Amino acid sequence: MYLRVAGFTLHVSTDDPGLTLAPGRASTRFVIDSAPASPVDVEVTVSATDLADDTHALECLFDSGGAWRLYRHDRGLLFHFVTPNLPGIPYKTALVDRDLSRAQIRLHQPFFAGDATIDPLEYPLDELLVIALLGRGHGIEIHGCGVIDGDSGWLFVGQSGAGKSTMARLWLAEPDAVVLSDDRIVLRADDEGVWMYGTPWHGDEPLASPRRARLDHVFFLRHDNQNLPTAVRPANAVARLMTASFPPFHDAAALDFTLGFLDRVTRSVPCSELGFIPDSRVLPVIRETRRSRA
Amino acid sequence: MDNDNPNDKRPYEKPSIKQVDLRPEEAVLGACKTSSGGGGSGPGGGSCRRPAPCSSFGS
Repeated sequence: MYLRVAGFTLHVSTDDPGLTLAPGRASTRFVIDSAPASPVDVEVTVSATDLADDTHALECLFDSGGAWRLYRHDRGLLFHFVTPNLPGIPYKTALVDRDLSRAQIRLHQPFFAGDATIDPLEYPLDELLVIALLGRGHGIEIHGCGVIDGDSGWLFVGQSGAGKSTMARLWLAEPDAVVLSDDRIVLRADDEGVWMYGTPWHGDEPLASPRRARLDHVFFLRHDNQNLPTAVRPANAVARLMTASFPPFHDAAALDFTLGFLDRVTRSVPCSELGFIPDSRVLPVIRETRRSRA
Repeated sequence: MDNDNPNDKRPYEKPSIKQVDLRPEEAVLGACKTSSGGGGSGPGGGSCRRPAPCSSFGS
């Protein structure tokens, strides 16, 4: 199957007739029907084995403290995905080449034995792959809600509880608005400006669109008893975006790129803090920022 | 370039340190929202092979 997320194409395949691969529920909207005309960015191959037999000593590069760890490998990056259900053995591993062009996924066969279909890119691997690709000079993933409102693109940024899903629900009621995601938005840039892309990784609302839109304004969300946008200076905006982004922390060059990219975004896109009341009265206030720029 | 008009003189502001809040458990995609709906990180709608099934990920 071919998936296209944030402008990256992934081809997922297996030679194992015993494995039936299928995308996750939200990822189905990102499946493309046939081989794309443009080159594939990542060739992903999937196999099943007994990972308990893997006893290599590995240097840990990064420990998320939860679902995944990253190890150094001769060929590149080796991700282990772990669960307390399976102490001492990863339920899945992914070996990614240094140039991120190939990923070999190995599933711990006993753990997946009861599954009729398997999504080999199941969270967090899919997101980690895209984050790694973005860090190689392509963009950044933001903890935010992206909305296409007519010919305007709004990005609402915030950590958990800031009001992203609330904001998404308000826009759902607008007939001409499209919510790209209520939780994860990818930003990329080209000569035409900064673009935001929907992703499969939604929040409380099942909102995941493969579309993209040019970014016109960034709003840092804050619950308040009035609807009031306040301009945020670029340096402050970079810091706030950094804390609401998902850079590959294990990659120093990618972190450096991320800061430079956020600087570019904040110098080309207006940024505001938006104190808001969680009802539809905030929508014309947001739209007014478009008119005030015209 | 900065959005401000470069010809406008801004009033002087004494340099200050502003602290921003980073939530590492969210930033590194390490956690999973519990079925009780508590905080956490990660997107909704998937499963993450945890002992308590994830009804959705934190957002």
